Amino acid sequence: MTLFNDNIARLAAGDTSLTAAVKTSAGGVLTIEPARSGVPSARRAGRWIHSAYDPIREAETWAETHAPACREGETVVVAGVGLLYHVEALRKRVAPELVVAVLISDLDEFHDALVARPLGSWAENILWLSGTPVEIADRLSKTGRPLRCLSYAPAMHSDTNFHSTFEQALQRGIARQTGGQLTIALVGPIYGGSLPIARYVRRALETLGHKVQWIDHSVHASSYEAMGALKDARNRQLMQGRLAEVLSQWTLASLAESPPDLVLSLAQAPLTLPVLEHLRRKKLLTAMWFVENYRHLTYWQQMAPGYDYWFVFQQGACLDAFRQAGARHVGFLPMAADPELHRPMDLSDEERRTYGADVSFVGAGYANRRRLFPALLRRPWSFKLWGNEWDGADELHSVLQLNGARIDTDTCMKVFNATAINLNVHSTTGASLDPQADFVNPRTFELAACGAFQLVDSRSQLPDFFTDREILSFRNFDEVPGLVERWLGDPAARQAMAAAARERVLGAHTYVHRMRDLLGHIGFSQPDRVGAVLRGDRQQESLLSRCAGDVPLESLLKEFPAGQRVELKDVAARIRSKGSIMTLKREELMVLMLDEYRSETRDLL
Amino acid sequence: MRHESTQNSRALLIQLARLGDLVQSLPAIEALVDAAPETPLDVLCSAPLATVLGEARNIGRVIPWDGGRWRAWGEQWSEDPNGTLRAAQAYLAGLGESTYGRIYPLNQHNRSLLLTHLFSSPSVRADWDDRSEARIRPWTEYLRHIATRRGNNRVHLADAWCGMSGVRPRGRAPLLQPPTVDLPDDLASIGERQGLWVALVTGAGEADRCIPATTWGRWTHEFLTRTDEGQVVLIGSGRERETGQAILESIPALFQGRVWDATGRTSIPQLMKLLHKCRWVIGADTGPLHLGTLMGSRAIGFYFSHARVHETGPYGEGHWVYQHAAQAQPERWPIMESIALICDDQRRAASDWTLWRNRMDQWGTSFDDGSGQEGVEDARATVWRTLSPTLCESVAA
Repeated sequence: MTLFNDNIARLAAGDTSLTAAVKTSAGGVLTIEPARSGVPSARRAGRWIHSAYDPIREAETWAETHAPACREGETVVVAGVGLLYHVEALRKRVAPELVVAVLISDLDEFHDALVARPLGSWAENILWLSGTPVEIADRLSKTGRPLRCLSYAPAMHSDTNFHSTFEQALQRGIARQTGGQLTIALVGPIYGGSLPIARYVRRALETLGHKVQWIDHSVHASSYEAMGALKDARNRQLMQGRLAEVLSQWTLASLAESPPDLVLSLAQAPLTLPVLEHLRRKKLLTAMWFVENYRHLTYWQQMAPGYDYWFVFQQGACLDAFRQAGARHVGFLPMAADPELHRPMDLSDEERRTYGADVSFVGAGYANRRRLFPALLRRPWSFKLWGNEWDGADELHSVLQLNGARIDTDTCMKVFNATAINLNVHSTTGASLDPQADFVNPRTFELAACGAFQLVDSRSQLPDFFTDREILSFRNFDEVPGLVERWLGDPAARQAMAAAARERVLGAHTYVHRMRDLLGHIGFSQPDRVGAVLRGDRQQESLLSRCAGDVPLESLLKEFPAGQRVELKDVAARIRSKGSIMTLKREELMVLMLDEYRSETRDLL
Repeated sequence: MRHESTQNSRALLIQLARLGDLVQSLPAIEALVDAAPETPLDVLCSAPLATVLGEARNIGRVIPWDGGRWRAWGEQWSEDPNGTLRAAQAYLAGLGESTYGRIYPLNQHNRSLLLTHLFSSPSVRADWDDRSEARIRPWTEYLRHIATRRGNNRVHLADAWCGMSGVRPRGRAPLLQPPTVDLPDDLASIGERQGLWVALVTGAGEADRCIPATTWGRWTHEFLTRTDEGQVVLIGSGRERETGQAILESIPALFQGRVWDATGRTSIPQLMKLLHKCRWVIGADTGPLHLGTLMGSRAIGFYFSHARVHETGPYGEGHWVYQHAAQAQPERWPIMESIALICDDQRRAASDWTLWRNRMDQWGTSFDDGSGQEGVEDARATVWRTLSPTLCESVAA
C-alpha cells in the first residue's frame, strides 16, 4: 500500500475530495499483469487496455499522434484512464502551460492505477475530473477555455455511456455559446422534400446570429424537370446527371466568391464527390444533414467519405452503416419544426369549413396509406385526404381534396389548424405500417408546433421527444377508428394534449435547437476552427483582449465595433479603404501582405 | 549612364517570380550595378531560388523571401493576430536592412508593391508616385499591352526590366561562374571527357509548355545516332523523374551509356554546375533553359503555346529558337533540324516553325530570322525613346 499512499499524497495537494473518494473506492476492476518490457500492463474484463509488450512505447506513439494538434490556451481532456501511461506521455510532450485534464469515469479503475504504478511529478500538473459526466462538462464549459477532447480508446470500452453522455453535455455547452458569428454556406437541393427544410435551416441559422450564404439550386428545377421529359431513360439520366455536375461546379464557384467557415448541405444537394474532395483539399469544412430514410435513398453509400460531417435522423444501424461506408463523423440529428411557419392560426369560419374535418391526412399516396385509409371511409365522422400522387386510388376519390393537387405550406398549415384529429402515418412501400419505425418524420413536429392534435403511428424514437401526455400514438392501424371516436368526443383533452406538444416543440424541437446541436457537434471536434468562432474568439473584443499592449494592432481592431467578428480580410479591407498605399503604416502593410497570401490559399477554383 | 542619386546608401531589386524570370532579371541587376557602383544593390527573390544569385558579381545581399511562411501566417492570423504580426515583424527585421533609398520592383502584383513600401525609406515612399512611378509606369503599361495584344514587339522582357529600373542594357549577356558544389558521384564525370554534351530540359512549369517524352526520346535517339561524340544529360525536377525514365526506356540499350539522367537529383547550384559542363542546352521556354545561358551554354529553344521568342527568348548572343507558328501543341517537332544545327552548324527550315537567332546591341538582345533586320533596331529604339526619353537623352549627350 505504500505505492498507493505515495500516489494519494501526490494527488492530495491538488484535490482532497478526489483523494478521499479514491481511498474509499474498492478498486479491483483492472487485472494487472507485467508486460514483456517489465512494466505493469492491465486488462479490463479480459481485454488488454495497454500493450502486453511495451505500454510505455505504445503511450508515446499515442501522445506523438495527438500532441501536435494541441494549441496554446486549450484544455486538453483525455478520456480513458487505464494505468495512465498515455496521460504521462502526453503531459511530457505538450507545453507546460497547456492544461491537461483526465476524465475519471470509474473511481475503482483509478484506484487500481494508483496501486499499480508510481505517479511522477507530472501527475501534479494534471486536472483530475471526477463526478457525473454532466457536472464535469458544465465545469469545463464554464472555464470558457477552448476544449480539445482526446480519446484513449482501449480504456474507454467499459464506460461508453459515461463518455457519450459527457460528449453530448459538452456539445450542448458549446451550442449554448452563441458569442460568435459563423459564415455558413447552405447548399439546398434542386427540388423535393428537403427544399423546405433547407429554408427552415436558413432561418434557424440566421436566428442564431450566423451569416448564411444560401446556394439555392431550386432556381434550376424547371431545367431539371424539362430533362425529365426525355423518354429514353438513359438519356434522361445522363442529362440530369450532367446538370447535377454543372450545379456542383456552380456551388464551387459560389463558394469561391467568399469562402465560408462551413458548407452545410441538405439531402439531395448537388455536390459531387470530386468537388467535396476538392473542398477538403482547400481545407473547407463540409457537413450534410441527410433528412431522408437511409434505407430508401442510398446514394449516401458513395458519398459517405466526401463530407467531413454527416447528420442523420436515424440511430443505431444507420450510424454504423454510414461509418462503414467511410463517413468520418456521423451524428444523430432528428427532424424539427419552424415555429415561424408551423404555428396556430386564426381561421375564418369559411376557412374552417374548407380546410377542416374531423379527421384529415396530408401527404403523398404511398402504398401503405392507399391500403390503410379505406378503413376510414363510411364512418360517422368526416375524413379529408390532401396531397398528390393518389392516382389510381379510386376508393379514396370521394375524400381526396383539390383533385389530388400538390398543396403548399400555407394550405397545409390551415388543414392542420382546422382539423380536429390530424392523422400522421409514416410512409412505406409495404402494405401496412412501417415495420422499421426508427425515425420520426417532420410532420410530427410540425403538427405539434401548430398546436394541432395528432394521431401518429408508433415510432421507436417517439418517447425520446414526447411523453404520452403530449402525443397520442397507435401500434396497429385497427386502433385508429376507436381512438378517433374516443378523442373526437373530448375536445378539451385534445386541446390540452396539443398545447403540451406545442410547448414541448418550442422548448426542444425547433430547427434553432437542431442547428445549435449541429454546430455544437462540429465545434466540439473543431475547437480551433468552428469552436473558436462559436466561443467568440474572433469577435473584436476578444481579439482586442488578446493583443493588449500591441498599440498598432489595437488601433486597427478598434476601428471595428464591439460584437463584430473580425477576420484578416476585414482588417485588410478596412486598410485598403483608407486610400493610397503611400500613407499606410508598417503594420498595415504587413496585414495587407498577410491577406495577399491568405487569399491565395483560399483560391478555390 | 547613372541612375538618380539618393541619400540612402543601398538599393533593392525585387523579383518574386520563377527561375526563368529571375535569370532574366540579371541584365537589369548588372546594369544597375554598373550604373551606380557606389550604391550596393540587394536583391529580394523567392527563397528556394536564392542560390541562383550566389555567384552573381557585385550584388550586395540576396534576400530570400519565404512566401510559404507568410501563407501559413495568413491562415493562423485569426487564432493569434498579435503573435502573427509579431512573427511577421520579426521575420522582416531578420532580413536585415530595414529601408532602402531606391527600390526596383520588377513584378506587377500587389505583393511586390507591398514589399516596395515595406522596404522603402520614408522619403522614397513620400514621392513614390511622382518619381518611381514615372519611371516604371510607361514600361508596365507597355508590357501589359504586349501581353494582351502581342503585336510586333521586339523589346525583350529582360531589357524592358532594365527600362523599368531606369537603366539601359549593357549590351552584353550576364555570365556566372559555376558554383563550387559536388555533383552526385554518378554524375560527376559529366562534361569531364571529350564529347558533344547536350543538356536536355525535359519539363516545363506549365503542362501546356511541356514537350512530350516521346519527342525527347526520338531526339535523343537521332542525336546519338548522328554523332558518336554525342552525350545527353536529362535535366528536370523531381516531377520529371518519370519523363526521364520514359526517355531512357525509349532508346536502344546501345546508347544507354551516353544518356545521363539527372532529373530530380540536383539542387539549383548542382544544376548550374551541370549546365556549365554542357556545350548546349535544349528545351522549351523554361527556367533551366535560361539558366543554361547564364552558365555559358548555347541554347536552342522550342517555343510554342504562349511562349514568344521576342519576349522571353534565351538572353544573349548566338542562341537559337524555333518558334512554332500556332499556339496549339505542335504536331511535328524540329528534331533533325535542331540536331543539324548542333552537329553541322547548319540552318535548316522546319515546316510550321521559324528559326531565330539572337544578337546583342545597345538596346539589348533581339532575334533575327535571317530575313534582314531592317527596321527592327529602329522599332526598339523608338520604344526606348518613347518610354525612357531621359535615359536616351543622357546617352545622346
